[in-house]
Amino acid sequence: MSGHEEGESKELAEFRAEVKAWIAENKPPKPDFKLPLSFLEVESRQQFDYLREWQRKVFDAGYLGYDVPEEYGGRGVDRDRFRVVGQELARARAPFMVNLIALQWAGPTILAYGTEEQKKSLLRGILSAEEIWCQGFSEPGSGSDLASLQTRAVKVDGGYRVTGHKVWTTLAHFAKYMILMARTDPAASKYAGISYFLFPMETEGVEIQPLVKLSGEGGFNQVVFDDAFMPESALLGEEGQGWNIAMTTLMFERGANEGVGRERAAGFVERINTLAEVARRQRRGGRPVAEDPVFRDRIVRAWIEAQAMALAAARSEAPQLNADRPMALPLMNKLVMSEWAQRVAELGCEMLGAEGALWVGDENAPDDGDWPRAFMNSFGMTIGGGTSEILRNIIGERVLGLPKSK
Amino acid sequence: MTDVTQLIPQAPHGFGFTEDHDLARKEARRFLSEHSTREHVRAQYEDPRGYDRDLYKQALELGWLGLSVPEQYGGAGLDALHLLLLWEELGRALYPSPLFGSALAVEALLRGRHEAQRGQYLPEILSGNAIATFAYAETGGNWGADAVSCRAEPQEGKWVLSGTKAHVPFGASAGLLLVPAVDHKGELGIFILELPAAGIEVKPETSVDPTRRSARVELDRVKVPHGARIQGDGKAIFQRVCSLGYALLAAEMVGASEAVMLMTRDYASDRQQFGRAIGSFQAVKHPIVNAMMQTELARSLVLGAAAAMSSTETIDRPEVAEHAARMAKAFAEEALSFTVQRGVQLHGGFGFTWDCDVQLYFKRMLWSRATLGDATEHRQALARVLFG
Repeated sequence: MSGHEEGESKELAEFRAEVKAWIAENKPPKPDFKLPLSFLEVESRQQFDYLREWQRKVFDAGYLGYDVPEEYGGRGVDRDRFRVVGQELARARAPFMVNLIALQWAGPTILAYGTEEQKKSLLRGILSAEEIWCQGFSEPGSGSDLASLQTRAVKVDGGYRVTGHKVWTTLAHFAKYMILMARTDPAASKYAGISYFLFPMETEGVEIQPLVKLSGEGGFNQVVFDDAFMPESALLGEEGQGWNIAMTTLMFERGANEGVGRERAAGFVERINTLAEVARRQRRGGRPVAEDPVFRDRIVRAWIEAQAMALAAARSEAPQLNADRPMALPLMNKLVMSEWAQRVAELGCEMLGAEGALWVGDENAPDDGDWPRAFMNSFGMTIGGGTSEILRNIIGERVLGLPKSK
Repeated sequence: MTDVTQLIPQAPHGFGFTEDHDLARKEARRFLSEHSTREHVRAQYEDPRGYDRDLYKQALELGWLGLSVPEQYGGAGLDALHLLLLWEELGRALYPSPLFGSALAVEALLRGRHEAQRGQYLPEILSGNAIATFAYAETGGNWGADAVSCRAEPQEGKWVLSGTKAHVPFGASAGLLLVPAVDHKGELGIFILELPAAGIEVKPETSVDPTRRSARVELDRVKVPHGARIQGDGKAIFQRVCSLGYALLAAEMVGASEAVMLMTRDYASDRQQFGRAIGSFQAVKHPIVNAMMQTELARSLVLGAAAAMSSTETIDRPEVAEHAARMAKAFAEEALSFTVQRGVQLHGGFGFTWDCDVQLYFKRMLWSRATLGDATEHRQALARVLFG
């Protein structure tokens, strides 16, 4: 049971064993510097290099790209192998893939809407981590009301010139490309005036300013464009199609991509093991947390929820099971998982008792202060990619058919 | 150190869901929406037995009790997924019937080792000639294999049973009663009692859910033949019966929660206040979305329980299915509790009345929660698995 799954073919079970063995052999040792908890917190070059090296290693071993056809540098589409790699990486608590925005959101969008040329020139660099991507959707005045965005892309000879301001731009400081939403037709309606670009970041007129998160960490930025040029080939799809394409990206971001959900879910079940370890180790009121009935109950509650999420993710493989409400699970995915992760991070903090008062950098901080850090950073996921509140509106209206909120 | 991935099966591939499952589910839904209407359910509140015998006969003819019973005993021999998908539909329609207690009794007979007992009783039960039920609870809120105080003493080649069983599902309608009792060696046995019989007194209880009748059964030196004891490890059989019960109730609660969520959705879409449908207000919309999400997650756990019950692994490690079923029951109970409470609240003044159908589900929630352990109790059991 630990390795294979019920009903898994011999061929797939062998592949799983191979991946597992390779990870055990190649997983990098814990570095002597602080590692980011997720792709949202990569601040230093040292952290970035360590993570990029790991992604490249996984790619070189042939385990990345099972969602990308071979002619574009992938391994050929194989959903089973894609899922197995993700699950085994999560179970081994291996470092995350630093180019996540590209692997999970931009890449699948390019596959869906890109020209042959775009697919050929961009997808391989995404997989190998050669080219890092960031996302330019939100603006200071346009968060939940994304379609009100004001960044302009003006058609000029051979391309476009961009002027505007994007915020919460994770990884912009290491990125070679940005998926960029910009207004190309201010006269058109709110939605129809937006286009979607694959913007090359290394150009004049682009200023990246770091932002500091509530945890004190960096990793995200604001990006100011002042008449920055991009070639015509940066346009994805047609002019004016940007809103629809962005909705596709957001679907991927919210975990609609089957396999990604299962990978995350495997990580969450693994997180329960971590929580249980902490409960056995930490003491409150003279006894291990694992003996405190209130904490036992809360941990088991989180365990049941993690199992529910893992099973919900697995339902994507039996679409008929979801026929009554096909969009429910894909749209719920990010919402449920991010709120769960937030509760678990807080639970972890509470389990530390008096030691929960220590922060990153203190030599006695349990788990290097990662619990309070994870709790603070968890809000990145309940806000980013559509806030929990906006997602509840979307689910209520699109899945349940409830009347629109004005 | 315990690895949680070892304690429950991981998500299976596609859950073994086939076209047949889909057809059977749709057929059950169609049948129940035609026959187990809300009017029908309300009518059973007033019925002396609490269920319609003709309709129950039809349900048995459809094979609902013997769905996962091997064909050699008159069952359909289908997998647990078939079974739990059916029970979700039963919960959605709140179908009032003695199916639950009978299903537990059938499970106890199946898990026993005595071929002749199965051959004798199963066809009778599956055909409806005898209503069977299982006495899982005693007085004082106690239930399960560790809480049995009923005694079984050997005497002149017979067993003599004494004690009190409480909350026996449809006890007043039963012709066969399966009774767990502790023998003179301190071992748990499960005994088959045919009703009525000397020394057995059946007193109907007033159930919180009138579609789930129950009875207290007093056993005063009841004599049964030596062969009335189910062969095998009584404690293990009892736990298997309970595990099935958790899963059936979880599936029912998912169906019930779905029904209430949709009722509330429809009401919030129609009801106008301040010149607009109240479902357009986020304070109304978001709880309905939460109810839907809780229901979907509960459904996922029920599907997981079905997979665990069908898994070959459970032959050697039945506890794997037990854990999965406990998770499903614990979560589904809280989902249904949330859904019925929001259901009443969001229906406003109407929700507070007898006429609003949410109340029917409210009662089913309370009954299902109290039966075979509530969410807290299941989490406590799972915590013992995790931490000792």
